[in-house]
Amino acid sequence: MTAKAASHRRFGWSTLAGLVGLVVLATALGLGSAWLVLKRGDAFGARVGPWQANLLAGSADADLYTRARVAVGGLLALNRAETMYYVAATDSDGQPLRSRCSYRVSGPPPKARWWSLTAYAEDYFLFPNEPRRYSVNGLNAFIDEKGAFALTSGPTDPGVAGVPWLPTPGDRGLMFTLRVYNPDGALQAAPASLEAPRIERLAGCA
Amino acid sequence: MTQAQSPALVSSRRRQWAWRIGATLTLAAAVHLLAVWALPRVIMGRVLSAAQPEKTSGVFLPPMTDASQRRIVMPSPDLLYATCAFDVSKTPLRIRADPKAPRYWSIALYADNSDNFFVINDREAAGKPIDIVLIGPKAYAQAPVLPAGARVIDAPSTRGLLLMRVLVADYATEKSAVEAARASLNCDALR
Repeated sequence: MTAKAASHRRFGWSTLAGLVGLVVLATALGLGSAWLVLKRGDAFGARVGPWQANLLAGSADADLYTRARVAVGGLLALNRAETMYYVAATDSDGQPLRSRCSYRVSGPPPKARWWSLTAYAEDYFLFPNEPRRYSVNGLNAFIDEKGAFALTSGPTDPGVAGVPWLPTPGDRGLMFTLRVYNPDGALQAAPASLEAPRIERLAGCA
Repeated sequence: MTQAQSPALVSSRRRQWAWRIGATLTLAAAVHLLAVWALPRVIMGRVLSAAQPEKTSGVFLPPMTDASQRRIVMPSPDLLYATCAFDVSKTPLRIRADPKAPRYWSIALYADNSDNFFVINDREAAGKPIDIVLIGPKAYAQAPVLPAGARVIDAPSTRGLLLMRVLVADYATEKSAVEAARASLNCDALR
């Protein structure tokens, strides 16, 4: 092999390695930045207390990023006129929700035809539990004398009289989803006007 | 002892680095946008592939949602679902239903990119049967003959999903009514 041929061969390999490195780096940057943007909850929509509303879920008006976020965390959502979705991943003090902790969620029922509040694990699926109790809704909620609903969640029943308990076994991330079906016009027009249910951590975590 | 590099060599290396950085950022931006664009389509594609319709009516009637349901994220445990995976590339789809559920129900249509392009609920239906013809975005070889009185909806994509929701307060006591409501759904090719 001549010195010239060897030089060309070295040049070819180094150029190829450089191109592969460039493509790998660009792919990592592109995918990593996409993941970061999609995970950023702040861009999800209106915020009220610990709740975030996704206002364009399911809508044909949704932008590229909203559509991708909804596909990951709320595929087959209904549009805003039909249903509004509020998601909370922290309590009212801003602390991340954990399934091993017990919480009390309370507030006035949303002004809508029907609503439900469901506990999900961090993978967006329901917590397996023996009573098969996953949600509280406008039809079976406990309503106190002031007209407010209340529920508790946690790995064991905190035993608050009359207040339904949503079992959240294990030590996992937790999120609550409040679905508001056929919301009143005022709430639909101003999603942040929701009288946000409070999420309070009860004493001690298992 | 180091040799001073010629200005021409320095300039050439700068250009080379500028090209590398520019190419990397441009490609990264393209990958970023492609990933965000493709994600809902890939996820919907998986859902549509998994939505195996029953042989008789084209409608899939899953059991009441519980923690074993891990196909679609954030399933609602208060709703009974019925689904039709549709493909309107060759013929339109005729959707008929006459739900007599005691509470809320809705029929929603989703495009292959997950957009909810149509929904009707019990209030809007006002007790009347649903009769919808879903037309695909591409022209058909033969113009479809539309049934009298049917409502025509244009689908933005050839493939997609119909999702019927029926609110259930207590499945044990409401079973016959809510099951009959979703069983009234029919999805058939319009020929």
